Amino acid sequence: MITAKSLSKKFGAFTAIDTIDLHLKSGEVFGLLGPNGAGKSTFINMIYGTTQRSSGELSVFNFDPKEQSRSIKKRLGVVTQDNALDESLTVLENMMLYCAFVGVPPKEQKTRVNELLEYMNLAHKKDARIQTLSGGMKRRLVFVRALLGKPELLILDEPTTGLDPAVRHLLWGKVKELHQSGTTIVLTTHYMHEAEVLCNRLVILNHGKIVAEGTPQKMIQDHTPGYVGIFNLDDRLQIQTLLANRSDLSFYEDSANIYLRTATLTELTSFHTHHGLLPLQIRPSNLEDVFLKLTGQELASDA
Amino acid sequence: MLESFRLYLHIVLRNWTVYKKDLIANISPTVADPALVMVSLGLGLGAYLTNIEGLTYMQFLAPGLTVATALFTSFFESSYGFYVRMTYENVFKAMLTTPIGVKEIVIGELLWVGLKGAVMSVGVAIVLSLFGLMNNPWLIPSLLIVGFLVALPCGAMGLLATAMVRNINQFQTIYSFIIAPLYFLSGIFFPIEQMATPVRIAAEFFPLIHGVRLAQALFWEKGILEAFAYNGSILVIQTLILCIFAYVKIRKKLIL
Repeated sequence: MITAKSLSKKFGAFTAIDTIDLHLKSGEVFGLLGPNGAGKSTFINMIYGTTQRSSGELSVFNFDPKEQSRSIKKRLGVVTQDNALDESLTVLENMMLYCAFVGVPPKEQKTRVNELLEYMNLAHKKDARIQTLSGGMKRRLVFVRALLGKPELLILDEPTTGLDPAVRHLLWGKVKELHQSGTTIVLTTHYMHEAEVLCNRLVILNHGKIVAEGTPQKMIQDHTPGYVGIFNLDDRLQIQTLLANRSDLSFYEDSANIYLRTATLTELTSFHTHHGLLPLQIRPSNLEDVFLKLTGQELASDA
Repeated sequence: MLESFRLYLHIVLRNWTVYKKDLIANISPTVADPALVMVSLGLGLGAYLTNIEGLTYMQFLAPGLTVATALFTSFFESSYGFYVRMTYENVFKAMLTTPIGVKEIVIGELLWVGLKGAVMSVGVAIVLSLFGLMNNPWLIPSLLIVGFLVALPCGAMGLLATAMVRNINQFQTIYSFIIAPLYFLSGIFFPIEQMATPVRIAAEFFPLIHGVRLAQALFWEKGILEAFAYNGSILVIQTLILCIFAYVKIRKKLIL
């Protein structure tokens, strides 16, 4: 469905996408992860032609986004990172306008809008002005807008950033339903849990390059297998001394905690009981550990 | 082709939907500005200027004011208005995810300012003709063409300004040094023939003066065909050049 070969994008001297190769299959939920500025949005914008590649090849539905973006855009829907809703219009006016833009036949427009507003629990807000909607409602409305044209490919650019857990879970449910009904989905997110819940396959981008690729489980297995114990920063000295002669254990720290990873749960429990350390939490390793391992060091100096 | 045309119309429709929500505020300058000039200059100054090329000063002012309406309505819409939609409201960011491309956005926008310029010029002309300032009011519909032909290049100038400014305050500079002088030196308030040659030549390069001459021909029923052939052609050429230039510049803003 989407194929990129040695795809690059430069903005002046800055390389946003650096010779990446990617292939997206029809029907999958594909995740793009990476720190801010890693190139996620640049890649997304290249799919529908609002950013144009500097070199390499890119094809979407077998069309070249540089030349045939309209043929591509007819078949996709985008949940943009900024809501970019027309603030001067009401909910209904906004959606009717976009129905016309994506070419829904005039007779079907009202029904389509009403169905989707219903689907996203927004039917009661039909005549409200955009300014009066809450953040969660606006986000759901952007989903409605993206679905008006019954897209084969749905692009979600940080769909749940800034939303409360209830709305986030609602949207996850909808994404899963869309996936089950055959929609191909490309998702960018900063929430590793979201990526783990939703994606069949994902890549981690850093400085415009793909640094890891695979299913969430495989990535964890490849990069950070095992269990993670989270300890208080106060125990830092003790842990550091203990780890001086243990190359089999890996640990990292952030401004709040120390994270210690072992291959098995038994290893971890015996380590902390043996040395009298009290962990704040013990959990299986997850995508966040992978993410921080692959992109974290550089992030720290950037942030 | 047909699909592009459908999209232009929907962009026009979008702007109209937004525009009519604040109709009174939006239409105020169009109504108030010519009225103010008519009262202050036409009645006030006109008491001293009793004969200007064989006309009263009110008669002299009327055609120019009709066309100036098209300049202001189109320039402000495609500068401040377009800039706000592009930068603060991100309207185009969302539009560009649909089959709409930059070409549709630019042409749709120009079509909108063109139609607005046409309708408003006619509106002003109707009011002025009620005061007997137009020889033959049956010529009013032809002002649709004049308003449209003036609004297009002026709208394109607004888009160029939008592509050039780094923040919204900089429009003020463009207004003060280009649009306002253009307004005062395009033969609306006095016959430009008496001005120094460099000023006259410079004014010829701006679309407004040609629109003013077209409107004068229609209001005074003097050399209408010649005006359409000469000034009309120049307006069409200016429109083409400015619109293409505006498209190229706006494209650079919207497609990275």
